[in-house]
Parts: sequence; C-alpha cells; structure tokens
Amino acid sequence: MPAIQVQNLQKTFQTKRKAAGLGASMKSLFKPEYGSVEAVRSLSFQMESGEVLGFIGPNGAGKSTTIKMLTGILHPSRGAAKVLGFTPWLERQSLAFQIGTVFGQRPQLWYHLPAMDTFILFGKIYELDDAEAKKRIQFLSEAFELQDLLDVPVRKLSLGQRMRCEVAASLLHRPKLILLDEPSIGLDVVAKQNIRDAIRRMNQEEGVGVLLTSHDAGDLEALCKRVIIVNHGQIVYEDKVSSLKRKFLTTKMVEVRYAKEVAKDFSIHGVEILKVGRYGVKLKFDASQTSVDSVLAHLSASGDMADITISDPPLEEVIAKIYEQAKAESVDKQ
Amino acid sequence: MKTLQFLLAIWKANLQSALEYRVSFLSQMIGMMVNNFIYFAIWIIFFDRFKDVRGWGVGDMYITFGILASAFGLVSILFGNAFMLSDVIAKGRLDYYLSLPKPVLLHAISSRMVASGVGDFFYGFLSYALSGYFSWDGLLRYVLALLLAATVFAAFLILTQSLAFWFGMMNNFSALALNAMLTFGIYPITLFDNYAKIILFTLIPAALMGAIPAEFIRAFTWQSLSQMLIGAIGFIGLAVFVFNRGLKRYESGSAIQVEV
Amino acid sequence: MKTVSKYWSIFQITLINSLAYPGELIGRSLMIIPFMWIFYQLWKVTFAAAGAEVISGLTLRDTLWYLMLAETIELGRPPIARTLSENVKDGSIAYILNKPYDFLWYQFSAAMGETIFRAALNALFGGLTVWTLVGAPNHPQGFWIALPAILGAWILHFCVNAMIGLSAFIVEDVSAFTWIYQKLAFIFGGMLIPLDFYPNWLQAIAKALPFASAIYGPARLFVTPTLELLINVMSLQIVWILVLSFTLAFIYRRGLTQLTVNGG
Repeated sequence: MPAIQVQNLQKTFQTKRKAAGLGASMKSLFKPEYGSVEAVRSLSFQMESGEVLGFIGPNGAGKSTTIKMLTGILHPSRGAAKVLGFTPWLERQSLAFQIGTVFGQRPQLWYHLPAMDTFILFGKIYELDDAEAKKRIQFLSEAFELQDLLDVPVRKLSLGQRMRCEVAASLLHRPKLILLDEPSIGLDVVAKQNIRDAIRRMNQEEGVGVLLTSHDAGDLEALCKRVIIVNHGQIVYEDKVSSLKRKFLTTKMVEVRYAKEVAKDFSIHGVEILKVGRYGVKLKFDASQTSVDSVLAHLSASGDMADITISDPPLEEVIAKIYEQAKAESVDKQ
Repeated sequence: MKTLQFLLAIWKANLQSALEYRVSFLSQMIGMMVNNFIYFAIWIIFFDRFKDVRGWGVGDMYITFGILASAFGLVSILFGNAFMLSDVIAKGRLDYYLSLPKPVLLHAISSRMVASGVGDFFYGFLSYALSGYFSWDGLLRYVLALLLAATVFAAFLILTQSLAFWFGMMNNFSALALNAMLTFGIYPITLFDNYAKIILFTLIPAALMGAIPAEFIRAFTWQSLSQMLIGAIGFIGLAVFVFNRGLKRYESGSAIQVEV
Repeated sequence: MKTVSKYWSIFQITLINSLAYPGELIGRSLMIIPFMWIFYQLWKVTFAAAGAEVISGLTLRDTLWYLMLAETIELGRPPIARTLSENVKDGSIAYILNKPYDFLWYQFSAAMGETIFRAALNALFGGLTVWTLVGAPNHPQGFWIALPAILGAWILHFCVNAMIGLSAFIVEDVSAFTWIYQKLAFIFGGMLIPLDFYPNWLQAIAKALPFASAIYGPARLFVTPTLELLINVMSLQIVWILVLSFTLAFIYRRGLTQLTVNGG
C-alpha cells in the first residue's frame, strides 16, 4: 500500500482586495470586494511507504497548504487523498497516531521548559506506556545526540539543537511516516548536516517514510531519491533526483591536478576552460555534445594525473532552470 | 509646523491601516461603546439603590465617566503606541525612531492607533449628553477639559512606561499603573480622604483625568481650570523630561536589554 | 485511562510552565490589592450612609469577602478567548490539531493548568488585603464548600470564552465579544455590587443567567456556606455547564469543517 496517494487535490482561499489610498480604504470598509487565490490547483502524486520524497518549490508554491491537507488540518476544496489508508480530514485523530510532523517555523517544544518535559508529554499524548516511552526517549537521545540537551530549557538551546529535539520528538511514537516542513530553515551548514544524518538514519533503520518540503536543494541531494517540484500550486516536475540531474544537468565540471608541471595548452573541442595553473586545470563541458571519455583521454595524455574530480553543478541551478522552463511554457500558453 | 504635518501624515497612515481590517475596526468601535454602556449600567444600578455617595450623584458619574472615556479614547487614537512604550524601549526598538529625523518621543507614541479608542472617544460625548447637565457652553468646556485630561493621561503613560529605561521590561507594572489610573478616575472622588486625594493629584493623577474636569464641565470655576492647566503642563513637562533623561541613558547603551 | 492521563499531563505541563516566570506571575496578581482597597472605600461609605449594619443579608465584612472571591475567580482565569482566536487567526491551531487529542479537551486542560497559581496568588493577596481592612471571614470553612462551585465557575468561563475564541472562524476580530462578555459578567455576575442589592426584578433575571453561576454563586457560597445554597448553586451550575459545553462542542465541529487556515 502506498503511504500517500493524492488525486486532483485542490484548495482555494478567499482574500480581500483593496486599492491604495484612504478613499479606497473607506470604500472597502462598507463594500469589500473579495477575490480568490488558488493555493493548490490540481495535485496528483503517490509516495511509497518507506520512501524519502522531496517536495520542493519557492515560497507560496502551495507546499505548506498541501502538507496541511495531508495531515487533516485543512479540508481541500476538491480532490481526494489517502495517507496510510486514512482520509486525513475525516480521520485526523486516527491518522495522528501514525504520523509525525515537524514544522520548521512552528516549534512544538515548550519554550520555557526542558525538552524532556515535552517528550514526556508527547509520550502521554501518543498513549505510550511510561516504560516504553522512557526506552524510546533513551534511544532517540542517542540517535540524535541529545544526551546533554534534554534537561536544558529549550530557550537556551541553539537553533540546530532545538531542531534536532523537534525531529526526535516527532519520532517518539514510532510513526510510519513523518512530514517535515522546512526542517533545515535557518540552520548553519553543520547543523543541517546533523539533521540530515539523523533523518537518513531513522529512515534506513526504522523504515519511516519521509515527506520533506524545503527550498534548500542540499536537503534533496542528501536525503531524497525522488523529488516533486511544485510552483503556483501545480507539479512542474516529478522524477528521481538522479534523473533530474541527468536530464537537466548535462554540464560536467572537471578539475585535474597533475604530479608534475604541465604545458598550459588544454584547448579541446567543445570544452570551456575555467582556470589553468601550472599543476592543474578546471574545465566545463556539455556531456551530451562532447563525450566524457574523449575529454578524459585528452587530459590524461597531457601528463600524470595526481587527482581528478568530476562534479555536477549545484541543484539550485537545476531547479532554477526548471522554474524558468515552466514559466516560459505558461507564458507560451497565454 | 513641519512637525504638525508629519503628525498628520502618521495619523492618516494609522487610520488607513486600521481600515484595512474593516470588520475588526467597526466591531472594535461599536463593541467598545456597548462595553462602556454595560459597564456604566452597574453604576446606574448602584445609584438607583443608594442615591449618592457623599453628595456625588449619578449625574456626576455620567460626566466623570464620559470625560475619562473620551480622554482615554483620544490618547488611544492619536498616541496609541504610548500604551506599549515600555515594550518599545526594553526591546531596543527605539533605534528605529532614533534613526529618523523626527522628534523621537512624538514619533514613537503616535506610531499606532488603537481602533477601539474611537468608540471610547464618542461614547464619552454621549455619556455627557445623557448626564442631565448638558449645555452648549458646557460642551465647549467639555472639549477643553478633554484636551487637558488627555494631556495628563498621555503624560502619565509616558512617565510610567519610561521607567523601562531604568528597569527593563515591566509590563505588569505598566498594566497595574494604568488600571489604577482608570479605576481611581471612575470612582466617586468623595470616597477618598485627604491623604488619598493627595495621591490622586500626584502619584496617580486620576483626579485630573476624571473628577476635576467633571467639576469644570458642570460649572466654570477658576480653581478647577487652574488645577487642570497646572496639572497638564506640569505632568507633560515632567514626562518629557524623564523620557529625555532615559533616552540619554538608552543612547549611551546602558538601557537594559532583557532576554526574551 | 490513558486518555485521562493524557489530559492530566497537559494540565501538569501548563502548571509547571506558569511558574517559568514567578515575578511575572506575582506582579500580575498584585492588581487585586488596589481593587479590594477601592471596594472597601466604596462599601464603607455606602454602609455608613445607609446607617445599617446589614444590607440585604450581608454585612460590610461579608460584602468584601464576597467581592474578594468574585475577583479571584475573574482575575484567575486565563485569556482563553484571546488565545483561541489567535490560534485560529495565525493558523497555529493547525499545529495543535496534528496530535492525537481532542482540541477542546487540550485547551481546557491547559487553561486549568494556567489558572491554579494565578487564582491562588490572587486569593492570597486579595485575602490579606481584605483581612487587614475588615478582619477575618465569618466562615473560613466556606472556602472549602465553595471550592467545587469555583471549579464549576471556571468550566463555565471556559465554555463561553472558547466559543468567543472560536468565533474567529467567522469574524475577523473577537476582542469586542470578550469585552462585552467581561462586562456582562461584571454586571450580571455581581462583581461590584452583590446581586442581593439589585432590585428584585433584576435579581431574578441575573440569577437565572449563567454569569451568576460563574461568579455570584460560588462567591456567595463562600460567605454563606449553607447546604441549601450549595445544592442550589451546584444544580444550576451543572445545568449551565451541560447546556454550554454541548453548544461549544457543536460550534467547534461546525467551525472545523469549514476551517481555513491562513498561509499557504
């Protein structure tokens, strides 16, 4: 059974409209005009159990609205969804026992109290036995390296430490699925890495499914196998992260370091030289035009290679490219 | 003149942003009038049973409550941020006003409008009209007394909230002071003995916001007028002085920043 | 059993949390002192002017202890309507909803946790003030008899305030409703004048309304702890609790189905 099944999900919000100026303010006081915003247009996708799925998009793309509908907080305007076999907005409480949630911008830990107090409270809320809860807290505090943090009032923790506690708290009741909304927002590089490691570990060891929204491409590369990219409430791209790279990332970057000094002549057909030094070179080429083989052959012929790195450009660029493409398509349609 | 233009621009912007939430604006305004009416009904019940409190009758209550509501409303409309000044100070948000080329205190307190104040403001006039003491020259006195009472009230807010320069966050103290001011302002002044009255003219100048203006509105006396004038000038002078002393402290970086 | 312990631990955590800033807690409770002092002035003068020891069955001392308990009930309760309407408006209701508990029971347990220390401190400061001004209460044991009625009063307050808070589903701003409720409680609950001093017709109306069950009943029981009054107060309170809690549950279900959370 798939963990999440979504068909033609749609959500429209009502908003007030007003022109600028005091006159318009007065007018709208007595005769307001309303407009509607389609936060989610028509969304269909599926997520297997135990999968780590990335849900990516710029601000206002409809990510949070979707998550809210999938947890049963928000009723959709139209469409259907099943999460772990439940219809979220009809069976919110039953579903809540099976899933965990973390909202990066909405801490669930009690701010003035040590995280341990919230953990114990959550144990009660999810109806765990005291002994069971204790064992689980023990386990999670090791997995997330929280041993020294649990007895400190949450307000005194750093953002990264706090977020680790948040994610751990969401796993207390062994959910089959966790929904993480921007878990790495505002964190520094090391803290992000820590969170990602812990999430990956829980996915591998306990098979918990992870639906992750983020606008950090790094989260995707580190965690997800598959990605859905949304914009303006619609899916603009859905595929494996690897094939995403393959399709949109035909550009390769190569950096070579040689054992001995070499001649500076690296002109190869179809290759752009980025930097040349006495011991090495950095270059870029389109792998669909020029074969990797021929480039490497050329490079190794130039001298004894001490080190070589072949890399893809960061995923941010890819997503930007997809957005541009989707935008261009929508302009074409109009 | 430039300052006045600046204030007018701020007030206009405040009004516009209040109107942005139209239902909220209307419900706060009407709600506050209903709220005041219900509150006052208890005094009608009281005086219906007990007639008067040492010569202070229900008509006096109407006027006192009216002037108090109008003065409170006027300050809420024009200087609504004065209610939150200690917050602004303690959280370091005066930096913003300091970085702009306008009088800091005036800019800070006029930066917010409390919509319910509109209800209070108008309710006060209504209460005066119902008092049984209404007259056209009385209305003129009402307006003059309103301006002076509002001045005293604004000064009291600035004074109590400016203590944040020295003591940091003190929401409870500010709320306590505000409540004391309003409560003592409403209750019949004849309840209090002379010692208590000294307090009502000085520490908590509720008499200058309620009883004395009410006396002046009922009938002109030089005594009540001079009490109000001296009170208003004295308190606003003191308030500005204390605020500026505090501001010096703030600028020198020694104002307390409280961890939230 | 697990359900009970769930809400019990929510109660516990809010109780502990309310102690996070003791200065704040105490500071807020000091408000009752000027209130009691001014009540004393008002009623001292009024009793003297009436030239009577007893007005409608209450002495000056009774009146002040009555008012002390009325204020304690009122000042002790947390601003539930505001909390709930903020939850609804800023969308944080969403994050409370995604745990397996009943939203209303969660809020109720949390509200009670917040109430206990607030009320205790109000009773302490208010009680000390009144004690100093007019002496000990006539029936100190009345407090224990009034205690269940005090709890009932908070349940009533919760029901009404939660309804006001939830009305944020439909209206933009609920603050006007909270003021008006507060003032109605003030007048029909007898928070400045004991209902006994009201003209008969008004007394009859006021005593039938839920405000009397939420304030006047328990406060009066404290100064006149008779079995008859206890039965009277409690039975009326139970009727109102049933009516209002069912109404609240109904409103909540309705609100939930048309829930729209801000942001996207």
